[in-house]
Amino acid sequence: MKRRSIAALLLVTVVAAAVAATTSGATKKANASSITVWLQTDAQSGWADLVASVNQKFQSDHPGTTVNIQYQGWGDHLQKFDATLAGGGGPDVIEMGNTEMTKYMAAGAFADLSSSKSGFDNSGSWLKGLAASGVYKGKTYGVPYYAGSRVVTYRSDLFKKAGISKLPTSTAAYTADAKKLMAKNGKKGFSPIYIAGTDWYFGMSFVFDYGGGIATQVSGKWKGLLASPKSIAGLTAYKNFFAATSRASKTTDETHPNPYDVYAQGQAASMIGPSWFSCCVGAKYKGSTAQFVMPGHVAGTSMPGFLGGSDLAVPITSSQKALATDWIKDFTSTSSEKTLQAKGNIPNATNLLGSTVNERAASRSWFVPTAKHWVDVENGNILRNMLAQILTGKLSVKQAAQSASDNIASVLNQP
Amino acid sequence: MKPRQLGWDALGIAVFVVMVFPVFWMISTAFKPNDLIVSLTPTWIPLHPTFDHFTDAIHRPYFWTDVKNSLIIVCVTVALSIALAFLAAIALARFGFAGRKLFVVLVIGIQMLPQAGLIIPLYVVLARYHQVNTLTGVIVTYMTFVLPFSVWTLRGFLLGIPKELEEAAMVDGSTRVGVFLKILLPLMGPGLVATSVFAFITTWNEYIFARILLNDQSKQTVTVWLSYFYSTNRHTDWGALMAASTLTAVPVVVFFLLVQRRIAFGLTSGAVRG
Amino acid sequence: MTSRRHRRLWGRTAVPYALIAPVVVTIALILGYPLYFLVRLSLQQYGLFELIRHKGVGVGLANYRSVLHDQIFWHTLLRTIVFTAANVALTMVVGLLIALLLVQVSRPVRVLLSSGLVLVWSMPVVVAVQVWYWMTNFENGVVNYVLTHLHLGSFEQHDWYASTFSQLSMVTLLIVWGALPFVAITLYAGLAQVPRDLLEAASVDGAGAWMKFRDITLPILRPILLILTSLSIIWDFGVFTQPYLLIGQSKVTPGNFLMSIYLFEEGYFKSDYGRGAAISLLMLAIVGVLSIVYVRRMVRIGVET
Repeated sequence: MKRRSIAALLLVTVVAAAVAATTSGATKKANASSITVWLQTDAQSGWADLVASVNQKFQSDHPGTTVNIQYQGWGDHLQKFDATLAGGGGPDVIEMGNTEMTKYMAAGAFADLSSSKSGFDNSGSWLKGLAASGVYKGKTYGVPYYAGSRVVTYRSDLFKKAGISKLPTSTAAYTADAKKLMAKNGKKGFSPIYIAGTDWYFGMSFVFDYGGGIATQVSGKWKGLLASPKSIAGLTAYKNFFAATSRASKTTDETHPNPYDVYAQGQAASMIGPSWFSCCVGAKYKGSTAQFVMPGHVAGTSMPGFLGGSDLAVPITSSQKALATDWIKDFTSTSSEKTLQAKGNIPNATNLLGSTVNERAASRSWFVPTAKHWVDVENGNILRNMLAQILTGKLSVKQAAQSASDNIASVLNQP
Repeated sequence: MKPRQLGWDALGIAVFVVMVFPVFWMISTAFKPNDLIVSLTPTWIPLHPTFDHFTDAIHRPYFWTDVKNSLIIVCVTVALSIALAFLAAIALARFGFAGRKLFVVLVIGIQMLPQAGLIIPLYVVLARYHQVNTLTGVIVTYMTFVLPFSVWTLRGFLLGIPKELEEAAMVDGSTRVGVFLKILLPLMGPGLVATSVFAFITTWNEYIFARILLNDQSKQTVTVWLSYFYSTNRHTDWGALMAASTLTAVPVVVFFLLVQRRIAFGLTSGAVRG
Repeated sequence: MTSRRHRRLWGRTAVPYALIAPVVVTIALILGYPLYFLVRLSLQQYGLFELIRHKGVGVGLANYRSVLHDQIFWHTLLRTIVFTAANVALTMVVGLLIALLLVQVSRPVRVLLSSGLVLVWSMPVVVAVQVWYWMTNFENGVVNYVLTHLHLGSFEQHDWYASTFSQLSMVTLLIVWGALPFVAITLYAGLAQVPRDLLEAASVDGAGAWMKFRDITLPILRPILLILTSLSIIWDFGVFTQPYLLIGQSKVTPGNFLMSIYLFEEGYFKSDYGRGAAISLLMLAIVGVLSIVYVRRMVRIGVET
């Protein structure tokens, strides 16, 4: 009797569990004609209408096919992707940051798209830097999606008040302007140029401007270049530039805080970053905000900027590779790219380039070494750590550069 | 009121202020217009509160769907886990049986597993049973984490109940189930509440596994929905993020208020005051 | 003996096994294979290449050897142990004090304070991190503002995330703040089990507050305190979200690793899943050793059913 009651109680819970399992768990079988696309949230907040219209066109060209867009964040999309590579259920098209590509291409995570390359609009004139990030051992795995460069966003009212009539054409001139801006705006924490201390995209621009580099491949082996005299000159110039112009934290990155938030507080006369920074400068300064290309140390040149961007790839685990490729064709068509351009991005091909500040800045650019393990250097914060050591004076430029250079070489040369 | 009581109350209020300040700051920010949010001098209470951030947050895609998903996941997980764990806790606290030590080791050991290490193995297993991208997959995953600690804490509460009470009832002719219903269950009130509140909050707030296991935005939970506010490379909208965070906290508070009234949180303890 | 009488009372049947069966079966069904998978991974060379092909190469104990020969592992372990000790001690002591305070205050204040605790508790960790970061930010963090205006020194543009010690201290504050509600409310629920006539009788006998606490309250709270301490050790040792998000991915370096971040960096970012699995299992063993004192005491107390 007593035992039966307990057994009944058990039965109830087990049944409840089973019911819960069946009601909420109806698994959708993989629809034969449906593709799943992973795009970054930038598309959701920036050009969701483009995504919708491309899907519409794609679905009318491929009747009966549905497109399932799943938006991802930069922080964890690779961990999610890894899980699907191991267990299945992953996307048919994935957006990858251009610095993330090499590791996955080397491991064979993507389908070879070389044979269908000519079918993509403007594939003959793809932006060199961006197209290179999708190529491994001569085969094309990634289709350039869009690019972004870094520019100077500034307050024209403050520049005028400080008596700066002409935009700087060299790093030295910009530094001199910064001193004038500082003299007019003595507020605590005010930066004539807001630079996050460990913004390695900007720090490395100085290295490339002085003819240095990060690493290079010599007969199959990676060699660190940061400790070379030219790179050291660039890093020293960065250190001096930061000291003279920025009151930002020396150990922070370019998202903590967001430079545009500092700018919107009225605490910066200019800032370095992607051109879309102009979106968020605050209502007060919207009217007086403009942009120019960061000048190099040789007067009249522009400083090489990091060419950021995204590629689209088809994972090897996809069962709909042909459809996936067709979708990428629609999403990177000339008309799609023009829409992206209108949203402030750099389109994927040189023949589409206009002459906005953003696009002019891209004319002189640099890219990270295309090494299988590069992403480990990035995630290991080797460059950020080096910049923090240099700016805080914990190590001399030479010591910090030497240790980072050795560190990078050993990471890149891993089997 | 005695001055000593006043002193305790003042201390209680001071602790309250310090503890609650971050929550207050979140809510206050949610009501501030953008220029006050980024201002260098803080505004403590916005005099002209704006509801824009809340309307913005609610109108983002999938808000209500994801709230519903979270509620389903949490309710099923908590109900099943507490029921199953209570039974096991009785076994541990009231029975001597061979293999008990082993069971204790299992219960404790499970909690020591670093969750980060389990991401891929769990994904692979759930994918094999087609439970990736389903609420069931998340529910069973959560159960494996909620069950052990529920067993563990419920057992602690059971140990605090003198078994002489049950024995006396048995002597008086109650059945085993009668003892369970009439003695154990009411006395376990505070313990069951504390444990289920904890289970509720843990599952409601869980992020990592929900993020990895759920891909469709229409199947995600509220915490994953929330992450779309700050995982973008683009502008982080602080006001909307704080408004959205405030909204996600609401169900937990409501749940707690409900059970608090049921079990009369303050009553039993009011008697204990020394 | 009470225990023998008790056993007779409940019967010497299959009942306890039936009671634990649902829990055991659920856990075994869901975690059994993943655990096996984890152990197997730890014995294999398993990177991205192998992940895609679902096939690793057996390498015996090489992953364990490589981790144990990694200086970073030992430094991280030491740092994590000190970090865990500080977190657990702070959480338990302050949590107990708040629980006792809850008993002392008048009813309206108790309702206020306990609702406040629940509010704190109800903040999702990911949100708490954002708010916390925002309150302590370098440019216009409200904490810097308040400290400066309380004349505690000049905290304008104070960088709370400049050194490892400062970073981990901020993480500790965040974790302790977030853990206090659970500990305080659970202990408070435990305090409700203290028989009030016992306390009154003790008062009549002239016992002071400390004596009553030591001789009556503490023994009753002991099982709950033990559970909370062991749970806190387990959670704080393996904590990931708070340090990872608060310090920020861009500032995570071997110089400020905690164990779970080390695991995440080695296993996922470097896509060396085999090594990651080895680190997971080593962490399991280490935290087992760290909390063995508590577990054994738990089992001993548990034997006196």
